[in-house]
Amino acid sequence: MEKSRKIIEKIKAENIQPIPKWYFKVQNWLIWLAFALSILLGAAAFSVILFAIQQTDFDLISQFSDGGLSLFLALLPFFWIVTLLIFLLVAIFSIQKSKRGYKSTWSRLTTYSAAASILMGTLFFISGGAQWLENSFAKSVSLYQSIDEKKKIVWMQPDEGYLGGTIENVNGDSFLLKDFDGNTWAVSYQEAFIARVILLEQGEQIKLIGQKTGKSQFRADEIRPWGGPEHRKKMQERNQKPGSQP
Amino acid sequence: MIITKEICNQLNDIELVQKVMTEIDYFSCIYERYEPKLLRYVKRITGVSNEEAEDILQEAFLKIWRNINSYDTDLKFSTWIYRIVHNETISYWRKQSSFGKDHQIDLDENFPEEFDSNSQPGDSNKNVLTHEILELLPLKYKTILVLKFLEGMDYDEISDILKIPPGTVATRINRAKKAFSAISEQMHISFFE
Repeated sequence: MEKSRKIIEKIKAENIQPIPKWYFKVQNWLIWLAFALSILLGAAAFSVILFAIQQTDFDLISQFSDGGLSLFLALLPFFWIVTLLIFLLVAIFSIQKSKRGYKSTWSRLTTYSAAASILMGTLFFISGGAQWLENSFAKSVSLYQSIDEKKKIVWMQPDEGYLGGTIENVNGDSFLLKDFDGNTWAVSYQEAFIARVILLEQGEQIKLIGQKTGKSQFRADEIRPWGGPEHRKKMQERNQKPGSQP
Repeated sequence: MIITKEICNQLNDIELVQKVMTEIDYFSCIYERYEPKLLRYVKRITGVSNEEAEDILQEAFLKIWRNINSYDTDLKFSTWIYRIVHNETISYWRKQSSFGKDHQIDLDENFPEEFDSNSQPGDSNKNVLTHEILELLPLKYKTILVLKFLEGMDYDEISDILKIPPGTVATRINRAKKAFSAISEQMHISFFE
């Protein structure tokens, strides 16, 4: 008992106190809070990545004359990809630091954390939250290049056959389109495939696939809605009109 | 207050922890119950002298006292106490020596001189040879073999002590056994018939 008495005497003499229980409880809560927040923020980032993929027409990039690699890289939502990765790492490390976190392998922790962020992010995207988040972010952070701005990079290439802008005036089988640089184009669309949601009315934002036929002339083979908040608002108004079909 | 051995023996680990929370003198029961095993464990994984091992253990017991409120009854107390002692031992060992976790000795140059290459299984010095070979293994292999075969822990207990997944424990034991066999083969000693 001599050695044990020595330790107890030391504890008493130096008044060494056990760390209080609340400290460990708070530590545990902080770990779980960090995990939950990281999953939520990772989910938010993932939802914006989905939104970016949906909005940026990545499918068309390969048709660009240079193969579109540089354009593809320019359009990638790097900010959100990096954000997702950072929060995924924080989530994995925090869950690993939880009481029983060590029982799971890193690959399992990564899979669970990624699955949670992907699932929640997808639900957030479906509910329209990604668009709201991205718009709010773009408004409040001036240095951030929004998805809409990136989209304009693709649709401001008339020489490649891609043009976007706002309809100024519709006249029979042609209309005037003001592009995002403020230039006006005379667009003919006699044989164009027109997406069902297109209204072809003044003020509508659209994107065109076709061919530049003159300095300010463009022949549309396909007309797509521009998408984004304006389009969404218009569609809601249209659906709310009596007798309109969803 | 002096706690007699008889009183200590009447209490299980969990009861002792609860007693310690209100009366520190019961801490001597924990010390007496685990000191011999833990001292042996410290010496086995580090090869330090008895004096050094006692110093390590004293520091570890102070840590156990400081962290007694973090003990989670979902875990076996013995596992929890081994974990703290293990961590304390490793940090002491790393501070004291330049050997890192990936330290490996070149087998051809570091065979103990007193090794008798004609040793056979069942020789009286087999136990000594086992420890000699363990000394040549990287720390992570030595630790896991000591816990499994000398301390008699199961996979779950080792997983809780080293804070690694049970699957990793199994893999590491296999690798450690292979490394152990490779060294013993080089020494022309057969442990596994």
